[in-house]
Amino acid sequence: MNYMPGTASLIQDIDKKHLVLLRDGRTLIGYLRSIDQFANLVLHQTVERIHVGKKYGDIPRGIFVVRGENVVLLGEIDLEKESDTPLQQVSIEEILEEQRVEQQAKQESEKLKVQALKERGLSIPRADTLDEY
Amino acid sequence: MCVFRDGKVCVPRGGGSEPEWGPRGASLPVGVSAQLTMFRYQSLEDCPLDEDEDAFQTLGEEDEDIDQFNDDTFGAGAIDDDWQEAHERLAELEDKPATARELEDGAVSDEMELLGHHEENLAERLSKLVIENELEDPAIMQAVQTQPPMQQPGGLNSSIWDGSAVLRRFRGPLLTQILCPKPVHIRAPMQQRYPSPYGERMSPNQLCNVPNSSLLGHPFPPSVTPVFTHLQRAQLLGGAQAGRMSPSQFARVSGLVCSPLTSMNPKLLQGRVGQMMPPASRFRAFFGAPPPPAPPPSQQQHPLCPGSHLQNLRPHPQVFRPDTTHLHPQHRRLLHQRQQQNRTQHRSLNGSAGDRAGHRSSHHEQLRKDPYANLMLQREKDWVSKIQMMQLQSTDPYLDDFYYQNYFQKLEKVSAAEEMHGDGPKKERTKLITPQVAKLEHAYKPVQFEGSLGKLTVSSVNNPRKMIDAVVTSRSEDDETKEKQVRDKRRQTLVTIEKTYSLLLDVEDYERRYLLSLEGERPALMEERKQKICDMYDNLRGKTPGQERPSDDHFVQIMCIRKGKRMVARILPFLSTEQAADILMATARNLPFLIKKDAQDEVLLCLLRPFSLVLYHLPSGTVTSLLQQLANLPQSATVPAPANLHLAAVLQNKFGLSLLYLVLSRGEELQNSSAAVELMQDNQWTELMSMATRELLRIPEAALAKPVSTPSNLLSLFSRYVDQQKLNVLETKLQLVQGIR
Repeated sequence: MNYMPGTASLIQDIDKKHLVLLRDGRTLIGYLRSIDQFANLVLHQTVERIHVGKKYGDIPRGIFVVRGENVVLLGEIDLEKESDTPLQQVSIEEILEEQRVEQQAKQESEKLKVQALKERGLSIPRADTLDEY
Repeated sequence: MCVFRDGKVCVPRGGGSEPEWGPRGASLPVGVSAQLTMFRYQSLEDCPLDEDEDAFQTLGEEDEDIDQFNDDTFGAGAIDDDWQEAHERLAELEDKPATARELEDGAVSDEMELLGHHEENLAERLSKLVIENELEDPAIMQAVQTQPPMQQPGGLNSSIWDGSAVLRRFRGPLLTQILCPKPVHIRAPMQQRYPSPYGERMSPNQLCNVPNSSLLGHPFPPSVTPVFTHLQRAQLLGGAQAGRMSPSQFARVSGLVCSPLTSMNPKLLQGRVGQMMPPASRFRAFFGAPPPPAPPPSQQQHPLCPGSHLQNLRPHPQVFRPDTTHLHPQHRRLLHQRQQQNRTQHRSLNGSAGDRAGHRSSHHEQLRKDPYANLMLQREKDWVSKIQMMQLQSTDPYLDDFYYQNYFQKLEKVSAAEEMHGDGPKKERTKLITPQVAKLEHAYKPVQFEGSLGKLTVSSVNNPRKMIDAVVTSRSEDDETKEKQVRDKRRQTLVTIEKTYSLLLDVEDYERRYLLSLEGERPALMEERKQKICDMYDNLRGKTPGQERPSDDHFVQIMCIRKGKRMVARILPFLSTEQAADILMATARNLPFLIKKDAQDEVLLCLLRPFSLVLYHLPSGTVTSLLQQLANLPQSATVPAPANLHLAAVLQNKFGLSLLYLVLSRGEELQNSSAAVELMQDNQWTELMSMATRELLRIPEAALAKPVSTPSNLLSLFSRYVDQQKLNVLETKLQLVQGIR
């Protein structure tokens, strides 16, 4: 039942499990319950999934209403293939810890880089946008 | 502490975070009063600066105070007066003079009556008016027929519907619309709402107005119109359509009206919504649960009546207003088809004989197991897709959606060509329906606030106002440096290119317009086109009328810019032969310079194709002079220089060499044709040829550029002018013989 050929519409995706990537870098997984003309989404039984390396952790979030402009992409999850992943699920605490460690490491390396550049008299202009992740 | 309009009180529990629903007027437990006191103090800003022992005593005293306050506010002491109602009453006074004139028993006493027995009288009078028109307007009739008798909803005192609560007694939908015209100055800001292409989510406050506008196709006879103010009429005529209203409005409204418990339960809610659908559509909640026994019908009636009203109107053949805010009939058909499909689908599934494909039944199985499925109703989905479809409507799809239209035209041409070859129809390409819709004239009326002294200028999208007086100060000549002059000149050139490009796009479009236009318009179109082509040419060469166009400067400037070159390539097919030849000459004359400038862009090659086309039409004389330009010899040739730098540069460049070949090839063609005699006798040609060959021989092979294509007749050309030995050299050098590559 293709509503309009040549267009993309979320109507077919309703009541299906989706993975939504937001502009701030979060990954949400939930059942798409409702949409509107701006692609604002209502996600049900949402879970925020944090990925660090080969591990991931799920934080249950309940119902999410996402403003359309903050969505980078979203796609339907094939329920059969969902479990077919090389990634390893860990507990929330563990993944948050991992994330923190990763962030720290990133910051360290960033600092070193900036330092090195400074010593050489160069500087990288900072990104002034909000979308940093 | 939260107080809701229906009188419920929500008080935060001591120490906890969950609000607790408290019954109206109940005295609060002591433990809470302390917090409340604090609360009260903070809000009133008379918090005692120092806490003394007296404070605790006063706390005790406050308890009684609180109860008293409670009573005054919510309890017996409270006057149950809806300020909104009073306000509307007062506002209706304003409207009264307008209506009084038209009303049959327009007496001044009406005003008094309005104040006194406001609701009943007005309602009665207006209901009388309505009755007269009822017979003429089938829509209203229908609505009335399906309208079960209503009762005043008990227990709701100050809901947002109270303005029309009493008036609901009478014929539902129509009266609701007429009888709750909003006070003028509340309405005024909404007047800015011009028919928008997208159906907006309207607030429940507008719910009253929408059913108004849905009666578009059935305008009220004049005797009723005075009830509407000028603004409302504008809204009516400006036009919202029935379908624009979000169906979920009804769900929400019913949610407001019902107790919170029922609204929590999605099933019940859906059941209610299912009830709200008119019997005609027979839609049942998907998972087959029968709609639960309705809560007191009175609570539902108000939201139901506009709903049913709308539902009944929709199948009516509406007058199609050619306007982008309305759904094109094609799209509407699609929507209805889909609705039908859905209904039949559901029907068959609900029945046992549904012999659908396996996957679909499993899909539905899944949905059945999912208790939260179909939270988004089919109507809501249709609403969203309707918005999408409306977005596809445009007054000129060729303008708004150029690339898609062109793409599809190309595809269709290809498939048509394939069909011609007798392969039969290949895959059906489903094309997106992008209907063209006529433009609707909007007479912009600036906002008028009634009752204000003088006219206020409100700046809006449709009526922009100058906010800043920006003064352009031109620079004095002294300040300009050479750099700035150069920059300005370049900017001038860029502007010229842009203007010429617009002309070019217009000219290219003329073919399509020609096909679409009527017979009478065509000569005018042709004239326009010709004029535009002339303008383009003038732009290219620099408008210096009167003289012989001595300077190529303007043209060269254009040619230095990448966009300019591409543009010239596109313009050439439209120019006359002389004009095109002129362009060619100018290019050839300045070729080394252009080659140097093109080093980064490498766009000159795009000119080859149009140049070759032009060459094809050139007479021999022109070809000769062209070659001359390429070789950069003055008209009267004196002793040729030992090394012709101009030509050398040309030869070393891909474009230059290819152009040279083209010219030579053309010359050869001319020689072989009937005009051959002319060319043979042309001394210049011979001279040029010898010069060219000499240069070609002189230049080392490594420096020679690789041409785009080597015309086949060059060999025969050269054989005329050089001896065998040199010919062989040339042959190998230029790889003139096919097959060496």
